[in-house]
This record gives sequence, structure tokens and C-alpha cells, in this order.
Amino acid sequence: MEKKPTKAKKQQALTTEKPSDKTEKTEKAKTAPVSRRPFWTGSITIGLINVPIKLYAMIYDRGVSFHFLHKTDNQPLRYEKVCTKDNKIVPWPEVVKGYEVTKSQFVVFGKEELEAVKPESDRRIRIDKFVDYFSVDPIYFYNSYALMPDKSNDAYNLLLQSLEKMGKAAAGRITLRTKEYPALVHAYKGSLVLTTMRYSYDVVDPSTFEELKELKTPEKAELDLAKKIITDLSGEFDITEYKDTYRQKVEELIKKKLKGEAIVIEKPPKEEVKGLMAALQETLKQLEKK
Amino acid sequence: MTEKFTKVSFSNLDKVLYPKLKITKAQFIEYYIKIAPKMLPFLAERPLVLTRYPNGLDKEGFYEKDAPQGMPNWVKTVKLYSETAKRNVNYILCNDLDTLIWLANLVAIEIHMPLSRLDAREKPDFAFFDIDPEPPATYEDASTVALSLKEKLDQLGLKSYVKTSGKKGFHVLIPILREPTFKETRAFVHQIGQQLAKEMEIVVSEFIDTKKPNKVFVDYTQNSHGRTMVCPYSLRGTPEATVSTPLDWSDVKKKIKPAEFTIFSVPSLKKDPWKDIFENRQKLEAK
Repeated sequence: MEKKPTKAKKQQALTTEKPSDKTEKTEKAKTAPVSRRPFWTGSITIGLINVPIKLYAMIYDRGVSFHFLHKTDNQPLRYEKVCTKDNKIVPWPEVVKGYEVTKSQFVVFGKEELEAVKPESDRRIRIDKFVDYFSVDPIYFYNSYALMPDKSNDAYNLLLQSLEKMGKAAAGRITLRTKEYPALVHAYKGSLVLTTMRYSYDVVDPSTFEELKELKTPEKAELDLAKKIITDLSGEFDITEYKDTYRQKVEELIKKKLKGEAIVIEKPPKEEVKGLMAALQETLKQLEKK
Repeated sequence: MTEKFTKVSFSNLDKVLYPKLKITKAQFIEYYIKIAPKMLPFLAERPLVLTRYPNGLDKEGFYEKDAPQGMPNWVKTVKLYSETAKRNVNYILCNDLDTLIWLANLVAIEIHMPLSRLDAREKPDFAFFDIDPEPPATYEDASTVALSLKEKLDQLGLKSYVKTSGKKGFHVLIPILREPTFKETRAFVHQIGQQLAKEMEIVVSEFIDTKKPNKVFVDYTQNSHGRTMVCPYSLRGTPEATVSTPLDWSDVKKKIKPAEFTIFSVPSLKKDPWKDIFENRQKLEAK
């Protein structure tokens, strides 16, 4: 498993710890983290043309994370590798990697052996061809990075403007750390963005599920009713309408804890009741107005 | 959590009430919560009759006039003699949001109201035409009849309001000053029905003809003490979860389908065609 998001998070932590950033710990900076350090540098290669670029993280997983502590003295805990045979802690130099062939049968690799076959990043985003951006199935999108010019403003801008005007994306490959990804370079909000992609064999075709074979064609009346409901509830999709309420609640709790307030654990209402409460609040508001 | 907003504690929210559309009790209660601001003004001070389906539409439902045993003490009731039941009945009054939510939690799918209020039970505040098509006559025939009726009432200088019955027909109401008795409003509605029957082949105006196929009955009989009408915005016990929905006359002209007004579509309707109905009480003179 690649752990891109984790890496991005670490980097964010690094940048916010920098003294120059401390003054900017505003709410805005919190919601729009900008990594100041490029995550990768190299160039976009289209035939004989090279556009030097820097890659910055732009997708963050901003869930709540906790540390494990020792209950008796609140000291952080760390993981140790323990031998399953004698339960003794094994120091790092004594660790090797094993690929499980059959149950408890391993092929063993030393660090150097795997290093030798790792794909080498040649610091290039190799472009094979240009495609219509909207023709690419977004199910394959994996992660996105902001691309910034690296003393290549003119070439960068030319590529950006032409992709934007034509609605095209450059399709190619990139090696990040030790993995090669299919990738798209495309225009997004006035910037070039690199989107790494999954391989086709990493995505299951849902139509192969048995459950779908039992589906019957709905009656026309039912379809009409469903259409009506969908039309009534149709609108523009706005991602900002969705909030991570768990994170918000935990942040509130953290604030209260820091202030030393006692926290009353409320029994969470069932999902259905929540919907009713939201409707009730709206109705009470309307009745008050009358 | 719930105590903050309502006195009602909900039960069995995941129970399916409308099996065909898999509508749960939670969705059902949510409908009545959302529609309450428009619906409550019609319910106030009227002893209600309910159609309850506590276990969903595919199980037995029943008419209920008597307030159920073990109801909370904040629900208002009124003891009245019922002509049809020939005994004293403890009727529920729904003057506030909490009572409406409580009714929804009882799975009172349909809420029916009398045409008069408690302080003058003999003096209705609505004259009521129930336009009921008998198949193969359709809602389109019913809307044609409703429009002719409107024209007739316009000529008499009476402003009328229309709603779907929630089934195939339409309900036309004239909000009136509480002067005439039910006997007089009934005679008035009957008389207009008779005039329409003379002018339109498809209309029947007499109770005896109600089941004649391919006719539209202009029913006057509900204009009586102790009779009721399904309340504006009440759901109906139909598989499609239709709603008795107040309309603009222009909607009727467009032959809008009553079946389009359901638990899903009605809460999002922006306009309130009956908004001024209580400000337009008119003098109805017996002719």
C-alpha cells in the first residue's frame, strides 16, 4: 500500500512547525494548508520539450487523529517489533523482509536485494498523448498534486493556457518514490495539476456482482414517480455543504477539555431521529416568524 | 436531545408504513413536521377524526374519533356527543405542533376535520364541494367540473379555493362568515351542484347517483354537523403516499395530475395557494 496521504500530512506538520509559519496560524491557514516545500522536482517531458516543475501536495486527509497513551501516566506509547517465538524485542538491524509464499513459508529479501529492482525515478513526467480531460473515468483518480513552474514560467504558462483552452489533459507516467503511476497533467483553477491514477486491474468492475443479475425492470409508473422525486430534489452539487461533523464535535470537545469543562456524554440519537430534529428546528423557526 | 424541541418521544422510527414505496415512519413524521406551518391553521379548534394505520398500510387501519388510552396529559381533548356513534366521544384537538407530531407518531395517516369550529359547531366556516369522479371518469373530468364550478362561483362574486382530494377528485371550498347553518350551506352547495348537472352531461348532483359510472358527483352531503373533510396537507392512505394539496386555480387549468402531489413533492412546494383563505371569509346568502 502506498501511503501518500500520510506523507503529505507529515510534510504539513513540518511546514507548520517552521517559525515563519507560526504567526499565520489563522483559521484560514488551517482550512487551506499550503505546503511550502516541494514534494518532488523534475520536469514534464513532451517529446523533446522539457518543462521543469515542482510538485506540491494539495490533497490532505484532515480527519482527527489520536495518540495512544499509557492510562496511568499519560505517556505516549510506541510500537516495537516483537518476535512471535520468544516475545523479545527485535532491533532494526536484525529485521529483513519476507514474502509469504504459503502459510508460514517465506522467501527472504535483504534490503539491498529489493533496492536493486526498485523503479528509479528519472525525475520526468513522460507524456504519451493528449486526451479530453472529461473523457477520463474519475474512478481511476488516485491523488492530485499542484504543479508549479521551476524557473520555467513561459513554458509552464503556455502548456497551462493551451490545455485550459482545449479542455485537454496530458496523459503519461510518473514514478513517485518507488511506484510508477499512470498520470494526467491538466488545468485546474488556473494551475497545472498532476493527478496520479490507479491501474485498471486495481478497480473491480461492479457489473460482475451476482446481485445485479437478480434486478428486474421497474414498471413505468414507478419510474415516473422516481423521476418526479429526483427532479424535485435536483440541484447543484456543492461540496462545501458537506462537513465532517465528527471532526467538528471532537474539536469542540478538545476546546472544552482545554478549558477544563466537564464533558457530559450524551447518548447519540439514532440516525432517523437526527433527521427529524433538523426538520423540527426548521419548522420551529418558521412558526416563530408567523 | 429530543426533549429540547418536542414533548413527543418517537417510537419504531424504522417501521415501514407505505410498503410499495418503502416509506418509513421516520419519513412520515418528518413530512408532518415540515408541513406543520401550513397545516396547523386549519386544524385549530376542530375536533379531529383520524385514520390510523399503526402497522403500515398493508395491515389493518381504523377510523378513530376517541382519543386513545394513555395519551400524554398535555394533549387537549374535548368531550362531545357524536351523532354517528350515538355516544359521547373524547375528540382530540390539535392546536399546536407537539400535538401534530404526537398524532404522526400514532401513525394517524389521514387527518379529517369538521367544517365548523368548536365555539360554533352548527355554524360552518367553509362551504364545501367534493368533486368525485366515478371511473372511467378521471381526474381530468373532475378538473373540468371544478373549473366550471369556479366560474359559477365567480359569477356569484364568491372567491373559491381548490385542493386535490389526495385521491382522484378535487375539493372546492368557500371560506364564509359564520352566519348560515350547515342546513343552509348544504342547501346552497346542493343547489349549485344541481345547476351544474343541468349544464354538464357528466355531472350528477344527487346522492342516489353517486356510483353511476363515468359521472362526476358534486357531493354536498359533507356540509353537515358531525361530518368531516380530509384536512388540507393531510397524507392519504394510498400506496403512492399522496397528499390532499391546496392548488392555484391555474394549476387546475393546466390539468395538473393530483398524483404528482406526494409525501416527497409537497414539502418542497414553494407557494402557498391558500395563504389568504382566512382573510377572505365571505358572506354567503341563502338563495
